[in-house]
Amino acid sequence: MGKKKLIPLFAMIVLLIGTCSTAYVYATQTDADGIIINGQQYTIGQIFFIAEPRSFDSLEFSGIALDDLIKKAGVGCPSCHTYTIIAEDNYQKTVSWEDLQGGLLTREGMTVFPDLPKAFRVKNVVKIEVN
Amino acid sequence: MNKMKLFLGIILFGSIWGFSECIIGPAVGNAGLPSGAIMTGFFAIGFMIMSRMLFKQRGMQIGMGLVAGALRLFNPFGGCVICSAIAIAAEGILFELIWYRLSLDFKDLKTYTMKISMGIVSAYPCYVGGYIITQILTPMVSSSGFYLENLIVFIPQILSRGLIAALVGGVTVPLIFVLKNMDISHVKDKVYYPTTIAISILCWSVVIINALFLMGT
Repeated sequence: MGKKKLIPLFAMIVLLIGTCSTAYVYATQTDADGIIINGQQYTIGQIFFIAEPRSFDSLEFSGIALDDLIKKAGVGCPSCHTYTIIAEDNYQKTVSWEDLQGGLLTREGMTVFPDLPKAFRVKNVVKIEVN
Repeated sequence: MNKMKLFLGIILFGSIWGFSECIIGPAVGNAGLPSGAIMTGFFAIGFMIMSRMLFKQRGMQIGMGLVAGALRLFNPFGGCVICSAIAIAAEGILFELIWYRLSLDFKDLKTYTMKISMGIVSAYPCYVGGYIITQILTPMVSSSGFYLENLIVFIPQILSRGLIAALVGGVTVPLIFVLKNMDISHVKDKVYYPTTIAISILCWSVVIINALFLMGT
């Protein structure tokens, strides 16, 4: 098959992959109310009530301390685990306990870690899994 | 082609591309538009095809990606800096791989079907590939490390977001082909060298001044 047929064929395959993925993403998108931590559902209000506040003045972010949240959520031996933070759109990042000790969760549901790249700012967090 | 002329062409197009990513990209994002897909589908693909058309040299787009990625590092605002810089450099490499087998005189792309198809076939892998590469490399360069499962569950999102880049790329390539008959070798040296150097310096200056200004506010 020559380029004149192959390139349009590849273009159609690409569009098909993109369209199917878009349909899949919309069909599986979760619209959770609150955040599930270690299998337990919490509302944002509950989270901000139980955990200690933390703020990064230099970054202009404030919220609650993620390490304290994990302790208050009843996770035993927190330093023995890694933590996967999952967003509404399935974007997820796994961090260590050391990273978590410097991180915060904003009221808008975004994680902020001053020592990690901005890719670790997970927006619209719906779940924190303890691995 | 004169090596110095080519080198300055790489610096020029890489600088304009990097300038677009640093200055126009955040503005597109602030307007509520999918900036990543538009930056790849229109600006990245547009500049890379334009440079290939004008200079007719293989490998040039890899250099452009490196220059644009380096310039992106000088603007520590507008999302994940390391991610963007890695993605831009990766896009240059991926573009080069996709276009490697196509002739430099573009005789394969005579019809609109071929131009649109090539735009789609270029923009989608560049965007998706750049996104995946940055998702692997960014955690690796940070202290947290890379977890394959984090990437796998996010793959459908990445493939989905690439659709907009593909559609934009399909529109961009036929538009860029308006410049097909331009020949950079006819531009006189005394015009070419000062102009490329001046535009490149202007791009870098604006990005650095903008970064300093944002840091000061």
